[in-house]
Amino acid sequence: MLEIKELVTEFASVRALSGVSFTAATGKITTVIGANGAGKSTLLRTISGLERAAHGSIIWEGLDITKLSVEAIVRTGIAQVPEGHAVISQLSVAENIELGALFRKRKARADVAKAIAEVYELFPILFERKSQMAGALSGGERQMLAISRALVSRPKLLLLDEPSLGLAPLIAEQIINVINDLCRSTGLTVLLVEQNANTALSVADHGVLLALGKVVAQMPASQMIADESLRAAYLGY
Amino acid sequence: MTQFITAFFSGSSHGAIYALVSLGLVLVWRGAGVVNFAQMGQAMFTTYIASQMIMHKNSYWIAFVTALLAGAILGSIIDFGLMRPLSARKNSALLASESMRTTIPVIASLGVLGILKALAGIIWAGEERGFPSPVSTNGIKFGTTTLAFTAFDLFVIGIVLITLLLTTIFFTKTGMGLAMRASALNPEVTRLSGVRIKSVRTLSWAISGMASSLAGLLITPSTNLSPNTLDLLLIVGFTAAVIGGLTSLVGAVVGGFAIGYVISFVNVYSSPENVFLAILIFLMLMLFLRPQGIFGAKEVRRV
Repeated sequence: MLEIKELVTEFASVRALSGVSFTAATGKITTVIGANGAGKSTLLRTISGLERAAHGSIIWEGLDITKLSVEAIVRTGIAQVPEGHAVISQLSVAENIELGALFRKRKARADVAKAIAEVYELFPILFERKSQMAGALSGGERQMLAISRALVSRPKLLLLDEPSLGLAPLIAEQIINVINDLCRSTGLTVLLVEQNANTALSVADHGVLLALGKVVAQMPASQMIADESLRAAYLGY
Repeated sequence: MTQFITAFFSGSSHGAIYALVSLGLVLVWRGAGVVNFAQMGQAMFTTYIASQMIMHKNSYWIAFVTALLAGAILGSIIDFGLMRPLSARKNSALLASESMRTTIPVIASLGVLGILKALAGIIWAGEERGFPSPVSTNGIKFGTTTLAFTAFDLFVIGIVLITLLLTTIFFTKTGMGLAMRASALNPEVTRLSGVRIKSVRTLSWAISGMASSLAGLLITPSTNLSPNTLDLLLIVGFTAAVIGGLTSLVGAVVGGFAIGYVISFVNVYSSPENVFLAILIFLMLMLFLRPQGIFGAKEVRRV
Protein backbone atom coordinates (compact mmCIF):
# COMPACT_ATOMS: atom_id res chain seq x y z
CA MET A 1 0.00 0.00 0.00
CA LEU A 2 1.14 3.52 -0.82
CA GLU A 3 0.33 6.19 1.73
CA ILE A 4 0.78 9.86 0.93
CA LYS A 5 0.60 12.00 4.05
CA GLU A 6 0.35 15.80 4.06
CA LEU A 7 2.75 16.04 1.15
CA VAL A 8 4.10 19.48 0.27
CA THR A 9 6.37 20.15 -2.73
CA GLU A 10 7.65 23.62 -3.52
CA PHE A 11 9.53 25.19 -6.43
CA ALA A 12 11.18 28.39 -5.19
CA SER A 13 8.17 30.39 -3.95
CA VAL A 14 5.54 28.30 -5.76
CA ARG A 15 3.80 25.56 -3.81
CA ALA A 16 2.95 22.82 -6.32
CA LEU A 17 1.51 20.38 -3.75
CA SER A 18 -0.18 21.62 -0.57
CA GLY A 19 -0.71 18.91 2.01
CA VAL A 20 -1.78 16.11 -0.33
CA SER A 21 -2.96 12.96 1.46
CA PHE A 22 -4.44 9.77 0.03
CA THR A 23 -3.87 6.03 -0.10
CA ALA A 24 -3.37 3.74 -3.11
CA ALA A 25 -4.43 0.19 -2.31
CA THR A 26 -2.24 -2.78 -3.28
CA GLY A 27 -3.24 -4.49 -6.53
CA LYS A 28 -5.65 -1.71 -7.51
CA ILE A 29 -5.60 1.16 -9.97
CA THR A 30 -5.78 4.57 -8.34
CA THR A 31 -6.13 7.45 -10.72
CA VAL A 32 -5.22 11.05 -9.99
CA ILE A 33 -7.11 13.45 -12.21
CA GLY A 34 -7.23 17.20 -12.47
CA ALA A 35 -6.81 20.11 -14.83
CA ASN A 36 -3.47 21.40 -16.14
CA GLY A 37 -1.29 22.72 -13.33
CA ALA A 38 -3.15 20.80 -10.64
CA GLY A 39 0.12 19.17 -9.50
CA LYS A 40 -0.44 15.67 -10.90
CA SER A 41 3.00 15.26 -12.49
CA THR A 42 4.71 16.88 -9.49
CA LEU A 43 3.00 14.31 -7.28
CA LEU A 44 4.44 11.40 -9.29
CA ARG A 45 7.87 13.05 -9.52
CA THR A 46 7.90 13.52 -5.74
CA ILE A 47 6.94 9.88 -5.13
CA SER A 48 9.72 8.67 -7.46
CA GLY A 49 12.27 10.99 -5.83
CA LEU A 50 12.87 13.31 -8.80
CA GLU A 51 11.53 16.17 -6.69
CA ARG A 52 12.12 16.57 -2.96
CA ALA A 53 9.16 16.92 -0.61
CA ALA A 54 9.35 20.00 1.61
CA HIS A 55 7.01 18.44 4.19
CA GLY A 56 4.94 15.32 4.67
CA SER A 57 5.81 11.71 4.00
CA ILE A 58 5.49 8.93 1.45
CA ILE A 59 5.12 5.46 2.92
CA TRP A 60 5.45 2.50 0.58
CA GLU A 61 4.71 -0.95 2.06
CA GLY A 62 5.54 0.37 5.52
CA LEU A 63 8.83 1.97 4.44
CA ASP A 64 9.28 5.74 4.54
CA ILE A 65 10.73 6.57 1.11
CA THR A 66 10.35 10.35 1.34
CA LYS A 67 14.07 11.05 1.56
CA LEU A 68 15.40 8.15 -0.51
CA SER A 69 17.23 8.76 -3.79
CA VAL A 70 15.55 7.97 -7.12
CA GLU A 71 17.78 4.93 -7.57
CA ALA A 72 16.98 3.61 -4.09
CA ILE A 73 13.24 4.11 -4.66
CA VAL A 74 13.42 2.06 -7.87
CA ARG A 75 14.98 -0.73 -5.81
CA THR A 76 11.97 -0.76 -3.47
CA GLY A 77 9.82 -1.84 -6.44
CA ILE A 78 8.55 1.49 -7.76
CA ALA A 79 8.82 2.30 -11.47
CA GLN A 80 7.75 5.52 -13.12
CA VAL A 81 6.79 6.03 -16.76
CA PRO A 82 7.29 9.77 -17.18
CA GLU A 83 5.12 12.05 -19.26
CA GLY A 84 5.83 12.35 -23.00
CA HIS A 85 6.67 8.76 -24.00
CA ALA A 86 10.04 9.03 -22.25
CA VAL A 87 12.46 6.77 -24.07
CA ILE A 88 16.05 7.36 -25.14
CA SER A 89 15.78 8.06 -28.86
CA GLN A 90 19.44 7.39 -29.67
CA LEU A 91 19.38 3.88 -28.15
CA SER A 92 17.78 0.88 -29.83
CA VAL A 93 14.45 -0.53 -28.68
CA ALA A 94 16.25 -3.55 -27.15
CA GLU A 95 18.72 -1.28 -25.31
CA ASN A 96 15.91 0.88 -23.90
CA ILE A 97 14.24 -2.23 -22.51
CA GLU A 98 17.49 -3.67 -21.17
CA LEU A 99 18.19 -0.37 -19.42
CA GLY A 100 15.17 -0.89 -17.17
CA ALA A 101 16.57 -4.18 -15.88
CA LEU A 102 20.26 -3.27 -15.63
CA PHE A 103 20.24 -2.70 -11.88
CA ARG A 104 19.09 -6.27 -11.17
CA LYS A 105 20.84 -8.05 -14.04
CA ARG A 106 23.73 -9.36 -11.96
CA LYS A 107 21.55 -10.91 -9.25
CA ALA A 108 18.62 -12.12 -11.34
CA ARG A 109 19.94 -12.76 -14.85
CA ALA A 110 17.39 -15.51 -15.67
CA ASP A 111 14.44 -13.47 -14.42
CA VAL A 112 15.59 -10.44 -16.40
CA ALA A 113 15.61 -12.52 -19.60
CA LYS A 114 12.13 -13.78 -18.69
CA ALA A 115 10.84 -10.25 -18.01
CA ILE A 116 12.20 -9.04 -21.35
CA ALA A 117 10.52 -11.97 -23.16
CA GLU A 118 7.26 -11.10 -21.39
CA VAL A 119 7.23 -7.47 -22.53
CA TYR A 120 7.95 -8.56 -26.10
CA GLU A 121 4.96 -10.88 -25.80
CA LEU A 122 2.87 -8.03 -24.44
CA PHE A 123 3.94 -5.65 -27.24
CA PRO A 124 4.98 -7.81 -30.22
CA ILE A 125 5.64 -4.72 -32.36
CA LEU A 126 8.60 -3.92 -30.10
CA PHE A 127 10.10 -7.34 -30.76
CA GLU A 128 9.79 -6.74 -34.51
CA ARG A 129 11.55 -3.39 -34.11
CA LYS A 130 14.01 -4.29 -31.38
CA SER A 131 17.11 -3.35 -33.36
CA GLN A 132 15.68 -0.01 -34.54
CA MET A 133 16.48 3.27 -32.82
CA ALA A 134 13.73 4.28 -30.39
CA GLY A 135 13.56 7.69 -32.05
CA ALA A 136 12.15 6.07 -35.18
CA LEU A 137 9.08 4.67 -33.38
CA SER A 138 5.60 6.16 -33.52
CA GLY A 139 4.12 7.86 -30.45
CA GLY A 140 2.17 4.76 -29.44
CA GLU A 141 5.17 2.49 -29.86
CA ARG A 142 7.30 4.85 -27.83
CA GLN A 143 4.75 4.72 -25.02
CA MET A 144 4.75 0.91 -25.20
CA LEU A 145 8.54 1.03 -24.99
CA ALA A 146 8.50 3.38 -22.00
CA ILE A 147 6.07 1.06 -20.21
CA SER A 148 8.18 -1.98 -21.12
CA ARG A 149 11.30 -0.33 -19.71
CA ALA A 150 9.43 0.13 -16.44
CA LEU A 151 7.94 -3.39 -16.43
CA VAL A 152 11.26 -5.24 -16.82
CA SER A 153 12.29 -3.84 -13.44
CA ARG A 154 9.49 -6.08 -12.02
CA PRO A 155 7.78 -3.22 -10.19
CA LYS A 156 5.17 -3.66 -7.51
CA LEU A 157 4.00 -0.09 -7.98
CA LEU A 158 3.76 1.49 -11.43
CA LEU A 159 3.52 5.28 -11.67
CA LEU A 160 2.08 6.31 -15.03
CA ASP A 161 2.15 9.96 -16.05
CA GLU A 162 -0.36 10.78 -18.80
CA PRO A 163 0.15 7.59 -20.84
CA SER A 164 -2.52 8.62 -23.36
CA LEU A 165 -1.09 12.09 -24.01
CA GLY A 166 -0.70 12.80 -27.73
CA LEU A 167 -1.88 9.35 -28.81
CA ALA A 168 -4.67 8.43 -31.18
CA PRO A 169 -7.77 7.39 -29.14
CA LEU A 170 -7.55 3.77 -30.29
CA ILE A 171 -3.88 3.43 -29.30
CA ALA A 172 -4.50 5.23 -25.99
CA GLU A 173 -7.32 2.81 -25.22
CA GLN A 174 -5.14 -0.17 -26.12
CA ILE A 175 -2.41 0.99 -23.75
CA ILE A 176 -4.82 1.69 -20.89
CA ASN A 177 -6.34 -1.77 -21.41
CA VAL A 178 -2.92 -3.42 -21.23
CA ILE A 179 -2.27 -1.66 -17.91
CA ASN A 180 -5.68 -2.70 -16.62
CA ASP A 181 -5.09 -6.35 -17.60
CA LEU A 182 -1.64 -6.33 -15.98
CA CYS A 183 -3.03 -4.97 -12.74
CA ARG A 184 -5.84 -7.54 -12.63
CA SER A 185 -3.67 -10.51 -13.61
CA THR A 186 -0.46 -9.82 -11.64
CA GLY A 187 -1.60 -7.78 -8.65
CA LEU A 188 0.45 -4.78 -9.77
CA THR A 189 -0.46 -1.55 -7.96
CA VAL A 190 -0.97 1.32 -10.38
CA LEU A 191 -1.04 5.05 -9.76
CA LEU A 192 -2.33 6.58 -12.96
CA VAL A 193 -2.19 10.30 -13.63
CA GLU A 194 -4.44 11.43 -16.47
CA GLN A 195 -6.00 14.55 -17.89
CA ASN A 196 -8.39 12.35 -19.78
CA ALA A 197 -10.58 11.71 -16.74
CA ASN A 198 -13.15 9.55 -18.48
CA THR A 199 -10.61 7.06 -19.77
CA ALA A 200 -8.77 6.90 -16.45
CA LEU A 201 -11.85 6.57 -14.26
CA SER A 202 -13.31 3.88 -16.51
CA VAL A 203 -10.51 1.45 -15.55
CA ALA A 204 -9.62 2.73 -12.07
CA ASP A 205 -10.80 1.43 -8.70
CA HIS A 206 -10.28 4.69 -6.86
CA GLY A 207 -10.18 8.31 -7.98
CA VAL A 208 -8.35 11.28 -6.48
CA LEU A 209 -9.18 14.75 -7.78
CA LEU A 210 -6.44 17.36 -7.51
CA ALA A 211 -6.94 21.10 -7.97
CA LEU A 212 -4.20 23.71 -7.44
CA GLY A 213 -2.07 21.23 -5.52
CA LYS A 214 -4.79 20.12 -3.12
CA VAL A 215 -6.96 16.99 -2.95
CA VAL A 216 -10.53 18.22 -3.41
CA ALA A 217 -12.19 14.81 -3.61
CA GLN A 218 -11.34 11.12 -3.34
CA MET A 219 -13.82 8.29 -3.72
CA PRO A 220 -14.42 5.06 -5.64
CA ALA A 221 -13.87 5.70 -9.35
CA SER A 222 -17.37 4.57 -10.27
CA GLN A 223 -18.80 7.18 -7.90
CA MET A 224 -16.51 9.93 -9.19
CA ILE A 225 -17.36 9.29 -12.81
CA ALA A 226 -21.04 9.68 -11.96
CA ASP A 227 -20.60 12.89 -9.96
CA GLU A 228 -21.66 15.60 -12.39
CA SER A 229 -21.06 18.49 -9.98
CA LEU A 230 -17.40 17.49 -9.51
CA ARG A 231 -16.90 17.13 -13.23
CA ALA A 232 -18.46 20.51 -13.95
CA ALA A 233 -16.57 22.32 -11.18
CA TYR A 234 -13.09 20.90 -11.69
CA LEU A 235 -12.84 19.12 -15.02
CA GLY A 236 -14.89 21.42 -17.21
CA TYR A 237 -17.17 18.95 -18.95
CA MET B 1 57.10 9.01 -54.11
CA THR B 2 59.49 9.11 -51.14
CA GLN B 3 57.80 12.32 -50.00
CA PHE B 4 54.41 10.68 -50.24
CA ILE B 5 55.52 7.64 -48.21
CA THR B 6 57.13 9.87 -45.59
CA ALA B 7 53.94 11.94 -45.32
CA PHE B 8 51.81 8.81 -45.07
CA PHE B 9 53.89 7.21 -42.30
CA SER B 10 54.20 10.45 -40.37
CA GLY B 11 50.45 11.05 -40.74
CA SER B 12 49.72 7.53 -39.47
CA SER B 13 51.81 7.84 -36.34
CA HIS B 14 50.67 11.35 -35.44
CA GLY B 15 47.11 10.48 -36.41
CA ALA B 16 47.19 7.66 -33.87
CA ILE B 17 48.01 10.16 -31.10
CA TYR B 18 45.27 12.54 -32.21
CA ALA B 19 42.92 9.55 -32.25
CA LEU B 20 43.75 8.82 -28.59
CA VAL B 21 43.12 12.42 -27.55
CA SER B 22 39.89 12.37 -29.53
CA LEU B 23 38.87 9.07 -27.90
CA GLY B 24 39.39 10.57 -24.44
CA LEU B 25 37.16 13.53 -25.33
CA VAL B 26 34.46 11.30 -26.79
CA LEU B 27 34.52 9.04 -23.70
CA VAL B 28 33.70 11.91 -21.34
CA TRP B 29 31.20 13.37 -23.81
CA ARG B 30 29.38 10.05 -24.13
CA GLY B 31 29.55 9.22 -20.45
CA ALA B 32 29.00 12.59 -18.80
CA GLY B 33 27.92 14.97 -21.56
CA VAL B 34 30.86 17.32 -20.95
CA VAL B 35 33.55 18.56 -23.37
CA ASN B 36 36.62 18.27 -21.16
CA PHE B 37 39.18 20.96 -21.96
CA ALA B 38 41.30 19.86 -18.99
CA GLN B 39 42.14 16.63 -20.76
CA MET B 40 45.61 17.52 -21.97
CA GLY B 41 46.36 19.08 -18.59
CA GLN B 42 45.55 15.69 -17.06
CA ALA B 43 47.80 14.04 -19.68
CA MET B 44 50.65 16.45 -18.96
CA PHE B 45 50.36 16.08 -15.19
CA THR B 46 50.31 12.29 -15.17
CA THR B 47 53.17 12.12 -17.70
CA TYR B 48 55.22 14.28 -15.30
CA ILE B 49 54.45 11.70 -12.60
CA ALA B 50 55.73 8.91 -14.89
CA SER B 51 58.77 11.00 -15.80
CA GLN B 52 59.53 11.59 -12.14
CA MET B 53 59.32 7.86 -11.42
CA ILE B 54 61.65 7.03 -14.30
CA MET B 55 64.11 9.65 -13.05
CA HIS B 56 64.06 7.82 -9.70
CA LYS B 57 65.18 4.59 -11.41
CA ASN B 58 61.79 2.89 -11.68
CA SER B 59 61.15 0.81 -14.79
CA TYR B 60 59.36 2.41 -17.74
CA TRP B 61 56.46 -0.02 -17.48
CA ILE B 62 55.88 0.57 -13.76
CA ALA B 63 55.84 4.31 -14.47
CA PHE B 64 53.54 3.70 -17.45
CA VAL B 65 50.96 1.77 -15.39
CA THR B 66 51.22 4.24 -12.49
CA ALA B 67 50.53 7.14 -14.88
CA LEU B 68 47.47 5.37 -16.25
CA LEU B 69 46.16 4.77 -12.72
CA ALA B 70 46.96 8.36 -11.79
CA GLY B 71 44.98 9.45 -14.86
CA ALA B 72 41.98 7.43 -13.71
CA ILE B 73 42.24 8.82 -10.17
CA LEU B 74 42.65 12.41 -11.40
CA GLY B 75 39.63 12.02 -13.69
CA SER B 76 37.57 10.70 -10.75
CA ILE B 77 38.71 13.56 -8.53
CA ILE B 78 37.64 16.13 -11.15
CA ASP B 79 34.20 14.57 -11.30
CA PHE B 80 33.86 14.02 -7.57
CA GLY B 81 35.30 17.34 -6.44
CA LEU B 82 34.01 19.65 -9.16
CA MET B 83 31.49 18.30 -11.66
CA ARG B 84 29.23 16.60 -9.08
CA PRO B 85 28.94 19.62 -6.78
CA LEU B 86 28.31 21.81 -9.84
CA SER B 87 25.49 19.64 -11.13
CA ALA B 88 24.01 19.35 -7.62
CA ARG B 89 23.51 23.12 -7.39
CA LYS B 90 19.99 22.92 -8.77
CA ASN B 91 18.75 26.07 -7.09
CA SER B 92 21.47 28.31 -8.48
CA ALA B 93 20.01 30.97 -10.79
CA LEU B 94 23.05 30.60 -13.05
CA LEU B 95 22.35 26.90 -13.54
CA ALA B 96 18.64 27.38 -14.15
CA SER B 97 18.85 27.13 -17.94
CA GLU B 98 19.78 23.98 -19.86
CA SER B 99 22.39 25.84 -21.93
CA MET B 100 24.19 27.08 -18.81
CA ARG B 101 24.07 23.62 -17.24
CA THR B 102 25.94 22.37 -20.31
CA THR B 103 28.33 25.30 -20.56
CA ILE B 104 29.42 25.68 -16.95
CA PRO B 105 31.14 22.25 -16.67
CA VAL B 106 33.11 23.11 -19.83
CA ILE B 107 34.26 26.41 -18.31
CA ALA B 108 35.08 24.55 -15.09
CA SER B 109 37.24 22.13 -17.08
CA LEU B 110 39.22 25.13 -18.40
CA GLY B 111 39.76 26.13 -14.77
CA VAL B 112 41.07 22.64 -14.01
CA LEU B 113 43.49 22.97 -16.94
CA GLY B 114 44.82 26.19 -15.42
CA ILE B 115 45.19 24.60 -11.98
CA LEU B 116 47.04 21.55 -13.35
CA LYS B 117 49.45 23.74 -15.31
CA ALA B 118 50.10 25.91 -12.27
CA LEU B 119 50.64 22.83 -10.08
CA ALA B 120 53.06 21.32 -12.62
CA GLY B 121 54.92 24.64 -12.63
CA ILE B 122 55.12 24.66 -8.83
CA ILE B 123 56.08 20.98 -8.41
CA TRP B 124 58.39 20.53 -11.39
CA ALA B 125 59.43 24.17 -11.89
CA GLY B 126 57.88 24.10 -15.37
CA GLU B 127 61.06 22.57 -16.73
CA GLU B 128 61.02 21.04 -20.17
CA ARG B 129 62.29 17.50 -20.08
CA GLY B 130 62.56 14.53 -22.41
CA PHE B 131 60.53 11.40 -22.01
CA PRO B 132 61.75 7.95 -23.02
CA SER B 133 60.19 5.60 -25.52
CA PRO B 134 59.75 1.91 -24.64
CA VAL B 135 60.80 0.80 -28.14
CA SER B 136 63.19 2.02 -30.81
CA THR B 137 62.56 5.42 -32.35
CA ASN B 138 64.92 4.74 -35.27
CA GLY B 139 63.44 4.25 -38.72
CA ILE B 140 62.59 0.66 -39.63
CA LYS B 141 65.04 -0.80 -42.18
CA PHE B 142 63.51 -2.28 -45.30
CA GLY B 143 66.38 -3.83 -47.28
CA THR B 144 68.86 -1.02 -47.66
CA THR B 145 66.22 1.68 -47.22
CA THR B 146 65.41 3.22 -43.85
CA LEU B 147 61.72 4.11 -43.67
CA ALA B 148 60.43 7.27 -42.03
CA PHE B 149 58.49 4.99 -39.72
CA THR B 150 59.71 3.64 -36.40
CA ALA B 151 58.92 0.71 -34.13
CA PHE B 152 57.53 3.33 -31.73
CA ASP B 153 55.08 4.52 -34.41
CA LEU B 154 53.91 0.92 -34.81
CA PHE B 155 53.59 0.62 -31.04
CA VAL B 156 51.44 3.77 -30.88
CA ILE B 157 49.13 2.61 -33.70
CA GLY B 158 48.78 -0.81 -32.04
CA ILE B 159 47.89 0.77 -28.68
CA VAL B 160 45.28 3.01 -30.32
CA LEU B 161 43.63 0.11 -32.14
CA ILE B 162 43.57 -2.01 -28.95
CA THR B 163 42.09 0.92 -27.01
CA LEU B 164 39.45 1.39 -29.70
CA LEU B 165 38.57 -2.30 -29.65
CA LEU B 166 38.33 -2.47 -25.84
CA THR B 167 36.27 0.71 -25.49
CA THR B 168 33.93 -0.34 -28.32
CA ILE B 169 33.33 -3.73 -26.70
CA PHE B 170 32.82 -2.01 -23.35
CA PHE B 171 30.27 0.49 -24.69
CA THR B 172 28.29 -1.87 -26.92
CA LYS B 173 28.45 -5.22 -25.13
CA THR B 174 28.37 -4.46 -21.42
CA GLY B 175 25.66 -3.21 -19.11
CA MET B 176 27.95 -0.52 -17.70
CA GLY B 177 28.64 0.71 -21.24
CA LEU B 178 24.90 0.95 -21.89
CA ALA B 179 24.43 2.76 -18.56
CA MET B 180 27.15 5.26 -19.55
CA ARG B 181 25.58 6.02 -22.91
CA ALA B 182 22.12 6.29 -21.38
CA SER B 183 23.22 8.56 -18.54
CA ALA B 184 24.79 11.00 -21.00
CA LEU B 185 21.76 10.96 -23.31
CA ASN B 186 18.93 11.17 -20.78
CA PRO B 187 19.92 11.29 -17.11
CA GLU B 188 16.33 11.39 -15.84
CA VAL B 189 15.13 8.27 -17.65
CA THR B 190 18.38 6.54 -16.70
CA ARG B 191 17.90 7.34 -13.01
CA LEU B 192 14.29 6.17 -13.20
CA SER B 193 15.68 2.89 -14.53
CA GLY B 194 17.59 2.44 -11.28
CA VAL B 195 21.05 3.27 -12.68
CA ARG B 196 23.28 5.14 -10.21
CA ILE B 197 24.34 7.81 -12.67
CA LYS B 198 26.73 9.60 -10.34
CA SER B 199 28.93 6.49 -10.15
CA VAL B 200 28.56 5.90 -13.88
CA ARG B 201 29.75 9.44 -14.64
CA THR B 202 32.70 9.11 -12.30
CA LEU B 203 33.69 5.95 -14.15
CA SER B 204 33.48 7.84 -17.48
CA TRP B 205 35.84 10.47 -16.12
CA ALA B 206 38.19 7.77 -14.84
CA ILE B 207 38.34 5.91 -18.17
CA SER B 208 38.77 9.15 -20.08
CA GLY B 209 41.53 10.20 -17.65
CA MET B 210 43.28 6.93 -18.39
CA ALA B 211 43.02 7.52 -22.16
CA SER B 212 44.40 11.05 -21.68
CA SER B 213 47.37 9.70 -19.74
CA LEU B 214 47.99 7.19 -22.47
CA ALA B 215 48.03 9.99 -25.06
CA GLY B 216 50.48 11.96 -22.91
CA LEU B 217 52.80 8.99 -22.48
CA LEU B 218 52.79 8.28 -26.21
CA ILE B 219 53.22 11.81 -27.56
CA THR B 220 55.92 13.12 -25.24
CA PRO B 221 58.79 10.94 -26.59
CA SER B 222 58.52 13.04 -29.75
CA THR B 223 57.62 16.45 -28.26
CA ASN B 224 59.33 16.68 -24.86
CA LEU B 225 57.35 17.47 -21.73
CA SER B 226 56.48 20.86 -20.26
CA PRO B 227 53.30 22.33 -18.74
CA ASN B 228 52.33 23.82 -22.12
CA THR B 229 53.55 21.10 -24.51
CA LEU B 230 50.24 19.40 -25.06
CA ASP B 231 47.94 22.42 -25.50
CA LEU B 232 47.87 22.28 -29.29
CA LEU B 233 47.19 18.57 -29.14
CA LEU B 234 43.83 19.27 -27.50
CA ILE B 235 42.77 21.58 -30.34
CA VAL B 236 43.71 18.97 -32.94
CA GLY B 237 42.12 16.15 -30.90
CA PHE B 238 38.90 18.14 -30.46
CA THR B 239 38.77 18.85 -34.19
CA ALA B 240 39.26 15.13 -34.84
CA ALA B 241 36.41 14.30 -32.44
CA VAL B 242 34.06 16.76 -34.19
CA ILE B 243 35.02 15.42 -37.61
CA GLY B 244 34.46 11.85 -36.41
CA GLY B 245 31.04 12.67 -35.01
CA LEU B 246 31.72 13.41 -31.28
CA THR B 247 29.63 10.46 -30.11
CA SER B 248 31.34 7.74 -32.12
CA LEU B 249 34.43 5.91 -30.87
CA VAL B 250 35.29 4.68 -34.36
CA GLY B 251 34.64 8.23 -35.61
CA ALA B 252 37.13 9.57 -33.04
CA VAL B 253 39.84 7.27 -34.35
CA VAL B 254 39.04 7.88 -38.03
CA GLY B 255 38.91 11.64 -37.35
CA GLY B 256 42.28 11.41 -35.58
CA PHE B 257 43.94 9.65 -38.49
CA ALA B 258 42.28 11.99 -41.04
CA ILE B 259 43.64 15.05 -39.24
CA GLY B 260 47.03 13.33 -38.94
CA TYR B 261 47.20 12.87 -42.73
CA VAL B 262 46.03 16.43 -43.44
CA ILE B 263 48.73 17.86 -41.17
CA SER B 264 51.41 15.56 -42.49
CA PHE B 265 50.66 16.09 -46.20
CA VAL B 266 50.41 19.86 -45.78
CA ASN B 267 53.73 19.79 -43.92
CA VAL B 268 55.43 17.83 -46.68
CA TYR B 269 53.84 19.34 -49.79
CA SER B 270 53.19 22.88 -48.60
CA SER B 271 54.67 24.41 -45.47
CA PRO B 272 54.23 23.99 -41.71
CA GLU B 273 52.83 27.53 -41.53
CA ASN B 274 49.78 26.38 -43.47
CA VAL B 275 48.92 23.49 -41.16
CA PHE B 276 46.35 25.30 -39.00
CA LEU B 277 44.75 26.93 -42.01
CA ALA B 278 44.42 23.47 -43.58
CA ILE B 279 42.86 22.06 -40.38
CA LEU B 280 40.38 24.94 -40.31
CA ILE B 281 39.43 24.44 -43.98
CA PHE B 282 39.07 20.68 -43.43
CA LEU B 283 36.85 21.27 -40.40
CA MET B 284 34.70 23.85 -42.21
CA LEU B 285 34.29 21.55 -45.19
CA MET B 286 33.21 18.69 -42.95
CA LEU B 287 30.76 20.88 -41.06
CA PHE B 288 29.22 22.06 -44.34
CA LEU B 289 29.07 18.66 -46.01
CA ARG B 290 28.33 16.43 -43.01
CA PRO B 291 27.57 18.46 -39.88
CA GLN B 292 26.96 15.37 -37.76
CA GLY B 293 30.52 14.15 -38.49
CA ILE B 294 31.66 11.06 -40.39
CA PHE B 295 30.16 8.56 -37.97
CA GLY B 296 27.72 10.78 -36.09
CA ALA B 297 24.09 9.69 -36.22
CA LYS B 298 21.64 11.99 -37.96
CA GLU B 299 18.76 13.25 -35.84
CA VAL B 300 15.76 11.05 -36.54
CA ARG B 301 12.65 13.03 -37.39
CA ARG B 302 9.27 11.30 -37.19
CA VAL B 303 6.52 12.30 -39.56
